Amino acid sequence: MRTSRQILFGPLTRNAGLIACGTPLIVLWQLCEALVPVMIGVTIDVGVETGDLGPFLLSCLAIAVIFTFLSYGYRFGATFMNRAVQLESHRIRLEVAGQAVLPADDPKLAGEWLSLATADADKVSLLVRQFGFTVASVVTVGATAVYLARTDVTLALVILFGVPITVGITQLVSPVVARRTEREQAAIARVAGLGGDLVAGLRPIKGIGAEDAASGRYRASSRAARASSIVTARSWGYMTGLTTVVSGLFLAVVAWLAGSKAMEGDLTLGELVAIVGLTQFLAEPIALLGALTAQFAASTASARRLHTALASPVLILDGPDRLPAGVPRELRLRRATTSSLTEVDLTCGPGQLVAVVCDRPASADSLIGLLDGSVRPDGGAVTIAGVDLRSLAAADRRATLLVVPHEASPPEGTIRTAIDPDGTLDPATLDEVLTASAGHDVVAAHPDGLDHAVRSGGSSLSGGQRQRLTLARSLAVAPPVLVLRDPTTAIDAVTEQQIATGLQSRLGRDTATLVVTTSPTLLAAADHVVWIREGRVVRVAPHHVLQEDPRYREEVLR
Amino acid sequence: MRAHDPQRELLPIASGRDTARLLVRRFRRRPAVAALAITAFLLTGAAGIVAPRALGAIVDRVQAGGDSGDLTVPVLAIVVAAAVGAVAAAAAVAALAQATIPVLADLREDVLDRSLHLDSGQLEKAGTGDVMARVGDDVRTVTDSLDEAVPLLLTSLTAIVFTAGGLFALDWRLGLAGALAVPGYVTALRWYLPRSGPVYRAERVAQGERAEALMSTLEHAPTIRAFAREAPALGEIDRTSVNARELALRTFWVLMRYGARMNRAEAIGVVIVLTAGFVLVREDVVTVGAATAAALYFHRLFNPIGGVLFVFDDVQSAGASLTRLAGVALLPEHDDRAEALGAPARLELRGVGHEWEPGTPVLHGVDLVVEPGERVAVVGASGAGKSTVAAIAAGLASPTSGRTFLSGRAVDELGSATVRRHVAVVSQEVHVFTGSLRENLSLAAPQADDEALLAALEVVGARRWVTSLPEGLDTRVGSFGHALTSAQAQQLALARVVLLDPPYVVLDEATAEAGSSGARDLEVAASQIVRGRTALVVAHRLTQAQSADRVVVMDHGRIVEQGTHDELVATGGRYATLWHAWSGT
Repeated sequence: MRTSRQILFGPLTRNAGLIACGTPLIVLWQLCEALVPVMIGVTIDVGVETGDLGPFLLSCLAIAVIFTFLSYGYRFGATFMNRAVQLESHRIRLEVAGQAVLPADDPKLAGEWLSLATADADKVSLLVRQFGFTVASVVTVGATAVYLARTDVTLALVILFGVPITVGITQLVSPVVARRTEREQAAIARVAGLGGDLVAGLRPIKGIGAEDAASGRYRASSRAARASSIVTARSWGYMTGLTTVVSGLFLAVVAWLAGSKAMEGDLTLGELVAIVGLTQFLAEPIALLGALTAQFAASTASARRLHTALASPVLILDGPDRLPAGVPRELRLRRATTSSLTEVDLTCGPGQLVAVVCDRPASADSLIGLLDGSVRPDGGAVTIAGVDLRSLAAADRRATLLVVPHEASPPEGTIRTAIDPDGTLDPATLDEVLTASAGHDVVAAHPDGLDHAVRSGGSSLSGGQRQRLTLARSLAVAPPVLVLRDPTTAIDAVTEQQIATGLQSRLGRDTATLVVTTSPTLLAAADHVVWIREGRVVRVAPHHVLQEDPRYREEVLR
Repeated sequence: MRAHDPQRELLPIASGRDTARLLVRRFRRRPAVAALAITAFLLTGAAGIVAPRALGAIVDRVQAGGDSGDLTVPVLAIVVAAAVGAVAAAAAVAALAQATIPVLADLREDVLDRSLHLDSGQLEKAGTGDVMARVGDDVRTVTDSLDEAVPLLLTSLTAIVFTAGGLFALDWRLGLAGALAVPGYVTALRWYLPRSGPVYRAERVAQGERAEALMSTLEHAPTIRAFAREAPALGEIDRTSVNARELALRTFWVLMRYGARMNRAEAIGVVIVLTAGFVLVREDVVTVGAATAAALYFHRLFNPIGGVLFVFDDVQSAGASLTRLAGVALLPEHDDRAEALGAPARLELRGVGHEWEPGTPVLHGVDLVVEPGERVAVVGASGAGKSTVAAIAAGLASPTSGRTFLSGRAVDELGSATVRRHVAVVSQEVHVFTGSLRENLSLAAPQADDEALLAALEVVGARRWVTSLPEGLDTRVGSFGHALTSAQAQQLALARVVLLDPPYVVLDEATAEAGSSGARDLEVAASQIVRGRTALVVAHRLTQAQSADRVVVMDHGRIVEQGTHDELVATGGRYATLWHAWSGT
């Protein structure tokens, strides 16, 4: 397991080549930036003041050369670094996504994973760029110090201590500004979130005529963000003002000192110009170094979050045992016990349609959890063809057992890909599963039929349409053991009847089908019903037999 | 961000002229701050050009061989300019915010208000995609630009204008030399603009696809696991992320080449200004100090010019977003107030026919009366027209033919506020609003106190689970909040109806999304809220039909049977067949 430090510095070690190419170029760029004011001074010294054409032309040529190095240095240096940043953030993103699809002991919200896969991945990879700029700033400040010291030691000391102090003074208020900015951005994010949320709930809002109440709520949130934005802008204003006055005063000090020295003949005119220019230039790399500290802190925090997420425990649903050949794929619970099930026995063999009625949702959740592996039994066992599900090899489990969650939803694509994502079904089978799931109506409801576009999660379809497509998809997989949870809750009685018939007709395929439901239509279609009350199996019998019990009738027919 | 279908564009876009007029009108509401902002920007610009000039003067005095006393005036000038510039800069940024941010806030509030009041029929047809894009992306684009691009643009433009003025003030020939750098910058911009639009757009689309791929995998991880689709889902993330990465690299390269062209313009400009200085000093037209000041001026222009040229795109796209916001904000304001409908709450549909898409009728001559206090259940297969009847009965859609009456008044003659005050609709579309449970409920009754909210929860059987939450009504729900089951979410929707207390209720499969155990609780809740009201219930579970006063069976857009449950079962028609199949009797 990697440490958070390895996550943080991984981008540097993995991209050593790109960084080795990029960093010297970035250094070259910043040194040349520092040379521009120096060369302007030199040109004034050797050309403008003297009126000599030769030296003037030479120094102009030097300026052109400096600009060439500056320009290409940045262009290629930044491009190398950017490539490393992009490669890294992509790599981290995929790693996060890979972790997010694993079953976890303690599942995170989708939003948290998204922010890890985007914001945090980006922040950690930016370390590559921070590295390049840190090296460049340090080298440039050092080189400037050497130049200044060779020109005039007093001035060099004043500038080398003065610039960091002026930058430091402006940085004093920057935490305040940063805090306010953060608060403002949170307020704006709240407004944006609220707006999107209200529009997403537009129909329910209209349903109760709450447009004005909703508008009022948005207005209140917008006003709060507005106040926060103005306060933040004001603090930005103060910071700009502070920077202006501090750097202006420092410039005055340097101009006075350097001017006096020049008058005493200690400095040439060109050196005077160069020193003034460098004083202004130096603020940039020094401010950059200040900002880099904050960025490094942000990258570290992101690396810590990534570490926690990537190291979070996952449920390992894999074991050494393979399914024996030639043994019927029979699903069996033997005295299975969890917090909401007590010693449940249940058998569902090939060609059988078995229904389970639970009086409490928790029992149904627990039963589904036992089957999909997210719940471990406290006692007893779940087996397929005699092999315990917990020691079954993942490949065999996946090839044999399909547990369809109640909230299952089609992926983005078309109606066809929602049923047959790999496009492997032949037309006859497709027709068959559509018939069995009453999916033909869904296809017919759209003019473009099977090619009708489906949005992610099926949000462009009704609940009943989604459930029918999910059912069609499950039937198309045709697993030896199929487990369905409340597959028809959003489907009308007429269509439900078709589905019940459809499920029965699929039984010729040797599928063992287990349906957790309280729909009388589906229960009536089942070979027998396992009736669970308060976590215990009360009775196993066909629906019409159980219906003689008034308590059962009340549970399924209320 | 989803590439949206142009046919789904539902809201108008204002012309540039109308947008400008709207903004000017709103800025005029705060004339003092706007004037202060302008003055402060001008002062900042003026203060900014003092230092190079003063340094030029120092160079001249040094060259003239003066003593350090001669430095007093130029050094003092730098000090004063720093002080004035600081105050002006602080005032400029603050006043600009004070002038622009309230205008934007009003604008976004108006946009949301108009969006919420859009005609329901239009919305049903067009969907909410475009509204979402305006309220989300467009507001964000403009807000971001006000935070960074606009202040930077104004500061840079001021600096450029004043520095150019300063160059000309030194000597008109030096000014002209500086002006010779302009073509270089223009060339760079003209190279960049036609390239930047497409590459940025492509990058944004690719990032949108990547976000979409990530989100659909992360949100639907359980489904993906169940169907063993991890590999294709991750493959899709990989594909979109690689695509976004390659486009980001391409965009960056375009930006770098643009930067190189700007560097070229800078180099040419510096050399031209120095050359002009060289010639003019040699001809004794200007002093060495003036030539120095000119070079320093030009050097100081690098950052502002870069700033303007780099924010050009942001400002352009903010402008486009503004026209889209103005288009919505300029929609007519709704000023309809709810009036009271006195007469007994009778709902009538007379000869109602409807086509969502012209040419494909979904209802034919439906006549349906729901007597005051009666509970009518509508039953039928999908596509029979049940939801359309519900939408028309609720006044959410205007029928293509025929009319609807509430308490004897034609719905198309009542204002929508009146209709909405009297008819509550709960559909199977479950939405939990992000915020507290209290906020979710009080949408229906902003004035209601906790007692009223808890009483409403009691009616729908939700009081117990709400009060058992550690934070009770203050529990945060919705995205990033406490997860509710769909049954609980729907209980909240039903509790809102209790709080609204309308005479008419339309439930369109309001209990459909919950799992089977939850559905029973919801049905109890639903039967509680329709008690004593005129109710039309689109039922998917036949128990709802059984407990209704009357059952209406629909098929292919027509009413084919109606009567009480017992009557229909006794008749042995379509409903009877359904019932027997369903109940197993």
